[in-house]
Parts: sequence; C-alpha cells; structure tokens
Amino acid sequence: MSVRRWVPAIWLVLMVCGIWYAATRLSIHNDLGDLLPEGSTATQRLLLTQVRTGLSGRLILLALEGAASDELAEASRVLGDTLRADRRFGFVGNGAQAWSKEELSLLSSVRYLLSRTVTADTFSEPSLRNALQQRLDDLRSPLGSMIKESIPGDPTGEVLGILQSWSGWDRPEKYRGVWMSADHTRAVLVVETRAAGFDVDAQEAIQLVIRKAFHHMVQTAHPTVRLLMSGPGVFAVEIQRMIETEAWWLSTAAAVLVLLFLFFSYRSLTLVLLSLIPISSGIVAGMIAVNAWFGFVHGITVGFGITLLGVVDDYPIHLFSHMTTRDSAKAVMRTIWPTMRMGALTTAIGFSSLLLAGYPALAQLGLLALVGILTGAFVTRWVLPACVLPGFKASGIGMDLLSRVDLTGKKTVLVPLVLVVATSAWIWSDTPLWQEDLGSLSPLSEDKKQLDQRLRRELGAPDVRDLLVVEGVTVEDLLQKAEVVMTRLEVLRQDRELAGYDIVSRYVPSHRTQQERQRALPDRAVLERNLEEALKGLPFAPGLFTPFLAAVEAARSQTLVDRDAFAGTMLGMKLESLLFLQQDRWLAAVPLRGVVDRTRLADAVAQWRDGSTSYVDLKEESNRLMTAYRDRTVQLLGWGMAAITIVLGLGLRSIILVGRVLAPILCSLLVVAAVLRGSGEPLSLFHVATFLLVIGLGLDYALFLNRPEGTEEERIRTNFGLLVCSTTTILVFGVLAFSKIPVLHAIGMTAACGALSCLLFAGLLARKEVHIA
Amino acid sequence: MNSGVSNMRRGFLLCTVLLIGPIVASGAEKTLPHGDHSRNGWTIEQLVALINEERTSSVLFVETTYSSLLTEPLVSRGVLRFLPPSTLEKEVLSPYRERYLIEGDRVTFESERKQLKRAISLEDYPALRSFVDAFRATLTGDAVRLKHTYETRLDGDRRKWWLLLQPHESVEPSMVEQILISGSEGRIARITVRSTGGDRSVMTLSGGHAP
Repeated sequence: MSVRRWVPAIWLVLMVCGIWYAATRLSIHNDLGDLLPEGSTATQRLLLTQVRTGLSGRLILLALEGAASDELAEASRVLGDTLRADRRFGFVGNGAQAWSKEELSLLSSVRYLLSRTVTADTFSEPSLRNALQQRLDDLRSPLGSMIKESIPGDPTGEVLGILQSWSGWDRPEKYRGVWMSADHTRAVLVVETRAAGFDVDAQEAIQLVIRKAFHHMVQTAHPTVRLLMSGPGVFAVEIQRMIETEAWWLSTAAAVLVLLFLFFSYRSLTLVLLSLIPISSGIVAGMIAVNAWFGFVHGITVGFGITLLGVVDDYPIHLFSHMTTRDSAKAVMRTIWPTMRMGALTTAIGFSSLLLAGYPALAQLGLLALVGILTGAFVTRWVLPACVLPGFKASGIGMDLLSRVDLTGKKTVLVPLVLVVATSAWIWSDTPLWQEDLGSLSPLSEDKKQLDQRLRRELGAPDVRDLLVVEGVTVEDLLQKAEVVMTRLEVLRQDRELAGYDIVSRYVPSHRTQQERQRALPDRAVLERNLEEALKGLPFAPGLFTPFLAAVEAARSQTLVDRDAFAGTMLGMKLESLLFLQQDRWLAAVPLRGVVDRTRLADAVAQWRDGSTSYVDLKEESNRLMTAYRDRTVQLLGWGMAAITIVLGLGLRSIILVGRVLAPILCSLLVVAAVLRGSGEPLSLFHVATFLLVIGLGLDYALFLNRPEGTEEERIRTNFGLLVCSTTTILVFGVLAFSKIPVLHAIGMTAACGALSCLLFAGLLARKEVHIA
Repeated sequence: MNSGVSNMRRGFLLCTVLLIGPIVASGAEKTLPHGDHSRNGWTIEQLVALINEERTSSVLFVETTYSSLLTEPLVSRGVLRFLPPSTLEKEVLSPYRERYLIEGDRVTFESERKQLKRAISLEDYPALRSFVDAFRATLTGDAVRLKHTYETRLDGDRRKWWLLLQPHESVEPSMVEQILISGSEGRIARITVRSTGGDRSVMTLSGGHAP
C-alpha cells in the first residue's frame, strides 16, 4: 500500500536532512571548560575561572634531554627563539629570554615609583655614599663596563633592584645561559599559551607547533635530543585523545560483536540493518537537539551519549522477536506498543533528571538521551513496521536455542538470598562509598604525574594546587590589601611554610605606596647637597650625576603607574592573570609554591582576619565541587524514580504491577552498588549517571516480562527478545568495562552488571500465572 | 636589617646587570710596537706552548682601572689562580675582598662587602666568555682555540713579546675592543683590556709568572 512507500521515504528524507544538518551545522567543542558548571559559591566560581583561563592552566613545561649539556643548551636556545616568534605564546622562558630595550626604558622611567627600596633614607648622605662606593667596586669588577652606562642616571641601582625583585620564583640553575636541571641532563623551558589550558583543540594545535619546531630543530641538528612535555594543557589533550581512541575502538569492537550476535540470533542481514534505523534516528535527533539547546555539542557528549542510547536498540529487537508469518509487523507493533511506550517514557523521565543537574556535561547527556530515546521509540512504532516486507519472519537456530531458557524462573527464594549477600558485601566492604579524589579518575599514568612534578620542581613553576585570593572593591583597594598580604607571605616564606609566591604587588604598587615614595624623594637642593657630601673624596668625574638629579626631580611629580602601563609587554601578560575583574569584584590570584602543610597555612591565613583574603586548595575545592554535583545527581535520581513510579502507576493502574516492575530495578541497583563496592571501586558521578541507564534497562525488561501474554509462544518470544536485548547490552558495556580509562570502565562495569542483574531480577520477580491464562 | 637587605640587594647589581645587556672590560695600550708576527720564526704556537710550560698555579696581580666616569684610576690587588683545564679564579684582596671563580660555564661570585654569593652562567655574558676563553687558551697552550675566538697578532721576540687579541668581527658584538698581553719568555707580565667605550684596565702580574 502507499503507506509502505511514503513512510520510509519521509524517514529517509528527514534522515538525510538531519545527517546533512549534523555534518554541516553541528558545532562540536572539545573545550573541557565548557563542560564545567558555573559554580554556586564565589570560591567555586573563582576556582572554575582559574581552571578555565588561569595562568597555571596555561603553562606548558618542556624539557630537552638525551644529549650532552652543551648540545642541550644550544637546542633550548634554538627552540626558545622559534617559539618566541609565534604569537600563540605569551611567554617563553628558557633562561635566555631578556627584556627588550623598550621595556627597560619604560621601567627605567618609573623606577622611583616601583622600587621597593625607595625610602627617605635612600637619598641620605650616608646611603648615597655607600651606594657610590659600591659603584666604584662595580667599575673595577670584570663586569664593570656593563654597569657603567647606568651609573650616572641611577647610582642607587633602582632599575636593577626592581629587575632582581621581579625575577620572582627561584629560577633553575643556568648552564650556558639557559635553564638546566641541577645534574645538567635536562634543559628546562616553560611556555605560557594564550589559549586556555582546557581548550583542547587550541592546546592541541599549540602543542603541535611545539613538536614541529622541535622536529625541525632535531632534523637540522641535535638528532639525539628528546622532548618531554607536561602541564594541564598537555594532560587535557592527552586525556581527551585517550578517551576518544579508547572509546572509538571499544565501541567499534562492541558494535561488531553486537551486529554479529544479532545476525546469529536472527539469521538475517536485513533484520540487522533494520535494527539500526531507530538508533541512528535517535542519535541524529539527539545531537541536533543538544546543538540547538546548548549551541554546541561536546565531543564527550557524542561519545558517551551514543553509548547510553544503546538502550534504543532494544525496541526493534522486541518487534522482531514477536514477529511471525501470521501477523504483519504493524499488527505486532500494535500489540507490544503499550509496553514499549511505557518503557520509553519512563526511561526518558529517568534521563531527563540529568537536565536539572546544573552541570553542562550531564545536562547534554540527559538531553541527548531523552530526545534519542523518544525518537527511537517513535521511529520503531511508526517507521520500522512500514519498512518490514510483508511475510518477513526472523528465524534461526539462535531462536530455538534461546527459547529454551526460561527467564521467569520459579526460584524466587533466590531474591532475598542475593539481597542479603549484596547488603552484607555492601556493609562489610572496606572501600569508601564515594570516590572523593577526582585525581583517581584521571587516566594519566603515575609516570606522567611524576614527570610533571619533577619538571615543576626543576623550573620552580607554581603548583596548580595552592592559591590565595584577595578581593577588593577597586583596583586601588585591592592593591593596598595585596601589599599587606605580600608582607605577611614574606614572613611565611622566611619561616619556610612555603617556598615562594607570586603576587601583583610584586610588580605594581598601589597609588598610595607610589605617593609615599614620591614624598620620600628629596627636592633637588637637598639631594644636590647630600650628593655633594657623599661624593667627597670619591674619584667620580664632576657633574657626572646630573641625570640622576634630574630623574629624581622629575619623579617627584610624575604620573602614577597603573597596571595598564605594561599592556603588551611580558609583564602585562602576567599582570592579567594575577589581577582580574570577576562579577564586579577585583580579585588578585596569588599562586603559591611548595606549601609545606596546607592545614597550617590555611590556619595562618585565617588568623590574618582581614576578611578579604582566602586560601584555596584547588584540588580540595574541585573535589568538593564534584561531590556537590554528585550529591545533586543522586538527589535527582531519587526524584526521577519518584516520577517514574507515578507514570508507571498511571499507565499500569495496578500497585502490584508497579511493584513488580520497580522491585527488580531497586534490587539491581543495590546489587550493582554492592558489586562495585565489593570489588573495591568507590562510586563516582559517572557510576551514578550510569544508574539511570540501568533503570532504563530494568524498566524495559520488567515491563515486557510482566506483559499479559496470550500464548506460550508469545511468552517464549518475549523471553527471546529480552535475552537478545540484554546480551547486546552486556556485550557493549562488558567491552567498555575493560577500558583502562576509569570513567569508561565505571560506565561499562555499572551498565553491564546492571543489565545482567536487571534481567535476572525481572525474571525472578515477574508474575508467573500469565502464560497459564 | 633594613640596610643589610638594601646592601645585599645592591650587591646583586653585578649579576643582574648582566641580564640586560652586553658586557665588559677595558682596553689595551695604544702604542703597539710594529713588527711581523713571526719574526725570527717566533709563533703563537711556540708562545702559548711556552706559557703553558712555565705556568705556575697562582700569581699576584695589581689592576688599574681607567674609566671616563672617573677623575683618577682605581687600583685593586689580589691573586689569580688557574687550575687546568678550565678553572680560573680571581681573588681581590684589597681594597675590598671579592672572589670570582670560573669553572667551566659556571661563574661563582662572592663578595664580603656586599655579603653575597651567587652563581651565574658564563654563556649569558658573551664578552666575558670570550675574555675567559682567551685566558684559558693562552694558559693551556691551545693556539687553535685562541685563533678561533680572536684575530691574533704576535710582535717582538721570545725575549720580549706582545700578543694582541681582537675579537672576530663575525662574532656577536662584544664590549671588548682588544686585549694586549705582553711578557718575556713564558712569563706574562701585563694584560691590558680595552673596551669599546675607551675605558681600560691594566693588570700587572708580579713575579712575572703565569698564574
């Protein structure tokens, strides 16, 4: 009839349009930062800003090794020069970087405002004399002529003093002009990327630039040198690629297994191809929906979402299992549709709870699953039957074999037994219930983490972990507060509570401080007199220090320095990451290095009681953040279950039936949780999210098993269909469970165990009188 | 305490200054005796070999610095030491105490008056490096290396010679214009370093033995 022609035709047209749209319009992002939530507290927001765009996230640590020290030094120089020419790097440090002439003259013009050693005493006669005598010593040192030029204008050495105080972190030892590890086996470099550390695509491009520059260098010279890279951006790229590669080949393996299994079960290639119709429609519709709603689809959503949509593949399997030569596909569909509709609806409700998690990563997954499942069910109901040729019947040895398995066993007594075992395993396990350490979810090898630590130590680069945050209403307010914090931090550093810190006040003093310094500058007459006294008996040429007198005089009424005075310079970049505006508040981020005891440091900072400085342990804070989202997800899971119960009650109109459907699911969740915990795996956000999938599978199994069946043959067909469904699910997720990546493993393990126990519990708890009737 | 910090900080000048620019030193005597560099078959190879042979481990020096900033020269005294193949030490004993120890690429600077000790990399200061290279090469009898770094010219004869070193133009610009070493037989008597600014330092080695 005509429906047979135009329904598939419309579907085909829509599918082609959808695929075309997805291929051309879908914007797939790989910035992990996009998946992060907004954060609900000020600290969390700050943390997330830091994670997204902060300086420490943008640092890439490099090391060159595998050659003699002299060769490594040369290689470091070449690589550093090449990278410095690229606009994508804000700063390239290898020890050989230098201040440009412009930067130095800018600095020199504001030296009396910036120098921390400028006090009234600096220009007293004894201090001047002391300074002048040191300049004489300098002049006869082997390096004298380098200093010579600066002596007439700056005899107290303020410019050099400022540069010295800015050199900041303890820098690595230098060998042949570049930074080297203490044993001279590695030349170390640090580069700051302009792109955020979590912007995986940008980071990957940048890392490719580094690798290319390195390979070019290796090809022209230094063939034995090896390049090591580390840092948050490097890790982000590596993790993403690891997940992609692993997800890709695991899914491929799983898909091949499933298709082979389907083929052997039904002995029909046509059927295997037909079973792809609902799931492919669901994937395309889901992706378009996510893109329309969020403006982009994250790469991770694509990977995981498709896996979660595996449940859709169950719908065509149910249809095919119930088909006989007697009934047309449409007729069969009509009989199983109420059950399938209930299953799809309740599963969709379960996933929609993810939409409310307030966590973009989960919300995207939720929407993809929601739309995908509804589309899949819709397509199975209205499109698929029209595609099946009349008289088509799936049959095969698989069917004969599997139909001998009776799922609805009579050994209901097993249920309490299993539950008791599971509960005790749950209670007696030593494994903590929840995974509190985000770090353990990282698929990075211990070697990589150690390399990062080692390079960080050798470079004296800030740890990604410890941070002080100072708040202020205006920049001036903030700078004044930061100056106080700096003196306190200096005390802590001298007490060896921490190895170092970086703070905006090191570079830009508050206007108040600058004005104090201006007031400390003597007027020309006084300075001239002091200088004259100080010069007595010293062999300096007469009139030599006129530039000095003029500079001090000019500085007394000079315009004060703001942070934007350094825009576009090496220092400007740094200042942007140390001082920034966030939601109408000015914040100073103070990265700390080598914190000895975090509790003690937190106590010390708390004792300052200045109300605007707080210590943030980024690691603790991000764990706390994840925990908050996990708790919220668990909560939503609860609400989802409640909603599912209500819908089931409305649909089934029988409390007993609702109980029969829900009981196996709750039992399965308990067993899965017990298995996970019993096998030493604390639960994480990813396990919890996968519970939703388990619930969806359980609903599907329980609803079909509790369906009023007409005949023994139908019962056998239902059993067969469910066995095929659950086997495909277990195959897919069983493969994932073998992944070395903790997140993939968590999802695979949870879903595979869940599918198996859902099937068993649904069978054990299903009503047995039905097929007799 | 405050002034101690300030002293220390200023003491870093020497090192810090080197972060920012080229470098060093002082000039050679203007009067250069004319003559062929290989008169009487007297060659640089022979000279450096001789110096290497007669080298002693340490020698006293008096250094006079002439600068355009000054109305009169500055004088300092101390000891130069050399430990083959590449350790060179200059210790100033008066009017203040200061010590430069150059081992390979590493320069350790120590000053009593400035209360500081600090290590820097020779490579950061190309001019200082070529200067040090000249000494090392001369003292170890390495004429090849000497000619690699400098345009060389030898005047006089074995009894009284002048060795003029001028940095190759191709090499990165250095503040050293020329170094004139004079002596007799294997003994260095005087080293005059003249910088591009016209300043110079004259180091007279007493005892006449190479360090």
